[in-house]
Amino acid sequence: MTTLVQTKARSPGMAVWKAVLLMLPAALLSSLTWLGNLMSGEIDPLIVIALVASWLGFTVLFVLMLTTGKTHRYRSIMFILTAIALPLDFIPYMVETYGSMMLTEDVMFSGGASFCPLTMPMVIVPALLKGVVIFPGEILPGTAKGAFSIMFILWVGASLAVGRGWCSWGCFYGGWDELFSRLRKKPLIKHKQIDSRWRYLPFAVLLAIVLLSAITFSPIYCEWLCPFKAVTEFQAPSSALAVVQVTIFALLFIGLVVVLPLLTRRRIQCGLFCPFGAMQSFLNKINIFEVRIDLEKCTQCEKCIRECPTFSLDESSLESGKPLMTCTKCAQCVDTCPQGAIAYHIKGTPLRANSTVAKVLFLYPAYILLMFLGAGSVAAALYRILMLVTTGSMLH
Amino acid sequence: MEKLRSVLGYIMAVFSCLISAAILPAIATLSEPLITATGLTISPNYSGGEVVQTIDHGAYETHVHRMVFDDILIGERKEGFIQVDWTPLDALPAGIDEEIDADGDGQADFRIEVDTTTKEATLTPYASWVLELEGAYKPKGFFLVRVHLENPSR
Repeated sequence: MTTLVQTKARSPGMAVWKAVLLMLPAALLSSLTWLGNLMSGEIDPLIVIALVASWLGFTVLFVLMLTTGKTHRYRSIMFILTAIALPLDFIPYMVETYGSMMLTEDVMFSGGASFCPLTMPMVIVPALLKGVVIFPGEILPGTAKGAFSIMFILWVGASLAVGRGWCSWGCFYGGWDELFSRLRKKPLIKHKQIDSRWRYLPFAVLLAIVLLSAITFSPIYCEWLCPFKAVTEFQAPSSALAVVQVTIFALLFIGLVVVLPLLTRRRIQCGLFCPFGAMQSFLNKINIFEVRIDLEKCTQCEKCIRECPTFSLDESSLESGKPLMTCTKCAQCVDTCPQGAIAYHIKGTPLRANSTVAKVLFLYPAYILLMFLGAGSVAAALYRILMLVTTGSMLH
Repeated sequence: MEKLRSVLGYIMAVFSCLISAAILPAIATLSEPLITATGLTISPNYSGGEVVQTIDHGAYETHVHRMVFDDILIGERKEGFIQVDWTPLDALPAGIDEEIDADGDGQADFRIEVDTTTKEATLTPYASWVLELEGAYKPKGFFLVRVHLENPSR
């Protein structure tokens, strides 16, 4: 009986026909990306298989998200797949183009490093004051995978559309953190054992890297701290300093992305360290979507606080009805609240307005973002895997 | 008032959907002209700075970049570098021996000898503010050296 009540209380899914109807525009829009690829030259059957399989997979997961009401579960699958897919394509690309995952000075002086959105907090101040971008990459698309122009538009668009929702719907690294945080059923280090003051660390890291990058004219976070160099590219350990830098990022990856998420069932890198996430928290303020807690339904069971992967809910949230500004809109709390008291909400609308409308209106831009970034990465990775199976090599 | 806020909220929510859908087309069509219009460039620490002198050798060219001391936001650093590069890589002779006028006063400030196959380079400073060779590199398509300098204007 209790189970039945709980199931009813949680966000219900919608009828399949409605979900399919809703999915169609997003599916058509996203299909344009791969149709464009297919029509641009000679068609490799492996590319067709990879693109169609990836597109179908993401589309089915979106329909499941809508029909089952389990937003977090299906988002998480797509998010983790995206993160795993990225290095499966990126590392072979690095080997093809530069001979290894390592960036030598030869590569950096020719602008061969790939931009990612995480560079944004560091490049903004020098770009505004001096008109220069402090990164060894390219302003416009060329040899590198990601040019500044692409990442800038992506960052602005994603920030306007979903705010810090980027961290659970757009980031192509966060899935690693999420993967390891979901491997254990129960945490070895419980939520209450983690000092809540750690939540300020990402803001401190953000302030430090913005200032230090402006002073030194170099991307400090990329050079010294980014753990995700472990799955993309990193500076060649050609000097003692570079060896220290490589050791630091490797330790940070093992600690923040693998071990601590395993022990705590939390996204430690995303919630307690990432400066880009901290910057996106401020952009949450200008985003129209938020997560709200209906205090009349809430029984203060604190399950949402225990489950939130990014430490974005605390006791104060249950008093104010709002998560903290660091909320990544991942839907974990929405899905797990036994009373169905937590829902997506559009700022300015009544709290008890149709929550399904708010949810769909949020899921749409969020899914489109995930589809654009994730399905592309997964297709590229699938293609590499198919190449490996058919030719014995992931390289062209 | 509440109804107006509510309507505005829904309009903004729909607008967010449109923005999200427009990201990819915007990347394909708008990103290049938009960023080009801003005049942003890659930091001279990585790009070497603007080319101020080109010497034509027929089969290949020498590019002398401006001296780079602008590492910090305000003012200039005490020390910096100058980049000299040769392109195209395919047309370069095995050995290059060239005198370079770094500050554009018409007089050579250092001499550089490079072996383009082994990446070995030798610097002979003529001016007191030319300190040492930072390194010789072979990025895609060209060969470059960076020479460590003291800022002559400080």
